[in-house]
Amino acid sequence: MNSSLRVDSRTALLRRALAEGGFSGRPGGTYQVDSTAWSILALSACDGPPQPLDQARHLLMREQLSDGRLCVGKAHPASFWPTSLAILSWQDSEACREAQQRAVRFLLDTTGLHFPRTPDLPSAHDTMLKGWPWVGETHSWVEPTAMGVIALRAVGHGQHDRVKEAVRMVLDRQLPHGGWNYGNALVFGTELRPMPESTGAALAGLAGLVERDAVRASLAYLQHEVTRLRTPISLGWSLLGLAAWQQSPSNAAILAERCLANQERYGEYETSALCLLVLGGLATETDGRSPLISASVNKGLAAALQ
Amino acid sequence: MDLHADHRAPQGLTRRDVLRAIAAGLVIGTGLVVVPKRYFRLPQQAQTFVAKADHYQLDIAGTLYRGMMELGVSTTEIHGKRILLKPNLVETASEAPHINTHPLVLRGAIEAFLRLGAAAVMVAEGPGHRRDTLAVYEESGLADVLSEDRIKFHDLNYIAGYELPNAGAKTTMKTLTFPALFQEVDWIVSMAKMKTHHWTGATLSMKNLFGVMPGRYYGWPKNVLHKAGVQSSILDINATLKPHFAIVDGIIGMEGDGPIMGDPKQAGVLVLGRNLPAVDATCCRVMGIDPYQVSYLEQADKWLGPIGDGSIDQRGESIASVRTNFKLIETIPAQQGIRLT
Repeated sequence: MNSSLRVDSRTALLRRALAEGGFSGRPGGTYQVDSTAWSILALSACDGPPQPLDQARHLLMREQLSDGRLCVGKAHPASFWPTSLAILSWQDSEACREAQQRAVRFLLDTTGLHFPRTPDLPSAHDTMLKGWPWVGETHSWVEPTAMGVIALRAVGHGQHDRVKEAVRMVLDRQLPHGGWNYGNALVFGTELRPMPESTGAALAGLAGLVERDAVRASLAYLQHEVTRLRTPISLGWSLLGLAAWQQSPSNAAILAERCLANQERYGEYETSALCLLVLGGLATETDGRSPLISASVNKGLAAALQ
Repeated sequence: MDLHADHRAPQGLTRRDVLRAIAAGLVIGTGLVVVPKRYFRLPQQAQTFVAKADHYQLDIAGTLYRGMMELGVSTTEIHGKRILLKPNLVETASEAPHINTHPLVLRGAIEAFLRLGAAAVMVAEGPGHRRDTLAVYEESGLADVLSEDRIKFHDLNYIAGYELPNAGAKTTMKTLTFPALFQEVDWIVSMAKMKTHHWTGATLSMKNLFGVMPGRYYGWPKNVLHKAGVQSSILDINATLKPHFAIVDGIIGMEGDGPIMGDPKQAGVLVLGRNLPAVDATCCRVMGIDPYQVSYLEQADKWLGPIGDGSIDQRGESIASVRTNFKLIETIPAQQGIRLT
């Protein structure tokens, strides 16, 4: 990611910082938990100013419910998928340590809805393997599970049984010909199609936890797809996933720059999408270290993996 | 996102502007032909219009415009209104363009509503499978069309929501969260694709409204709705949202393992109407499916709208002239025993 992209993205994100703290989902928009957490991650990774980020971290603590979860809004307590994001956004913040631990506890104590397979079930995956859902009382899906794995690894729970089971769950949902979609591999015996954003998220979550052979077909799929991607969520997650396996495309910076320029066509990107693009662009420069995970934690992870 | 902004950029004269200028004349001419025919019909509970359209290069705008006029949608009714078109964008595959509502049908509807005097027309969707809505928007070809026409596209998955009490009460969901954008529009038009479906038998204008439920509250896939019951959720969404109009793209639909893995099926029709159950029942008959065997339609009958052929005032082409049986898969429970005899 070249410096102008870094600067332009940082400027664009800081314009979404709200006077009362936190970040909006769009320029001129209102506060959103997920936008705030993603902005902390992206701005931290590209040397954003500390003051709005500290303010945003504290605001997230105020949003936390007593059981540790963070939701898209307090009126929607079941939509707790931002909890993993909050755990990541509180890395390296001593003031947020207790809140982070409560969020971790919530994640460890929470699963998607799982049930034994029955003969008439049209999907083919192992319905009992636990991961995390987007919304409470629903099944576990690929992206929130990958995010849960990344968040728990970032706080030292990489060997926790929940992480190990989540890894098995994500692998179980991998499509036979490579790649992932939202989380259904086969339905009524037909293999469904892969999606770049789901594949990138899964690969980012699994890096360092499974052998390359286990994801080789998915890496091949994503390497083939990545150069045609023009939109930020797909490209951002794809670059993050490929970088995690040291397979970034040589023209990653050009792809990110082109995608950023596409805002002329699509309008300004929603904040989480812009952050994913920034983080994906940065991932290609970090020598396999995930920009989702702070430098100090990355160092520890690298040591543990050796 | 500025919900109050004019959704058409003020950048000179567009082909839309030219079409609008032509529209006034057409309104007068067509109206004189249509009105007497309507008056000679007995009152019915719902009306639908079926038009033949063999391919996407035809004058779809003109076809839809004539259909709307036939259904009594007038310039008086549409003038100054903000119209939201909700296509069916699910996911994309280069070999399967028949997954999604064709961009040229969207263009036709935009033109038709502008001819009728709409103040603004916008397109909005929240795909259930893909987190990256913009990717579906781009790869479906819709981005090219809407960019050229300077029509605003809204990603409903990330929009803030507002809650309404669940007016259907078929599921246990007490409230439903809709995109706040809907509070800013006058008409919501479901622009579905004519497809068979492996959970519901058929997916048409009513099922298409799953896509209005924001992913940030309902997940990807919108598993909250699956957990609550797909058929019941369809009914709750429709009963609560009360959409105003439906247009179904059956020029090339999907048969077999829909809504994403089925085969293309040329039905060569556009089906439209104000009442969504009636439109969907008409589509089912075109597809050779008995609407009474599609659970959510059977439940909607005489509540959200009629599905019996005796209760639907059928305009345009007759069902018999356009019926083409869509392939059903007998190993898929939702498609068993639904063939129209």
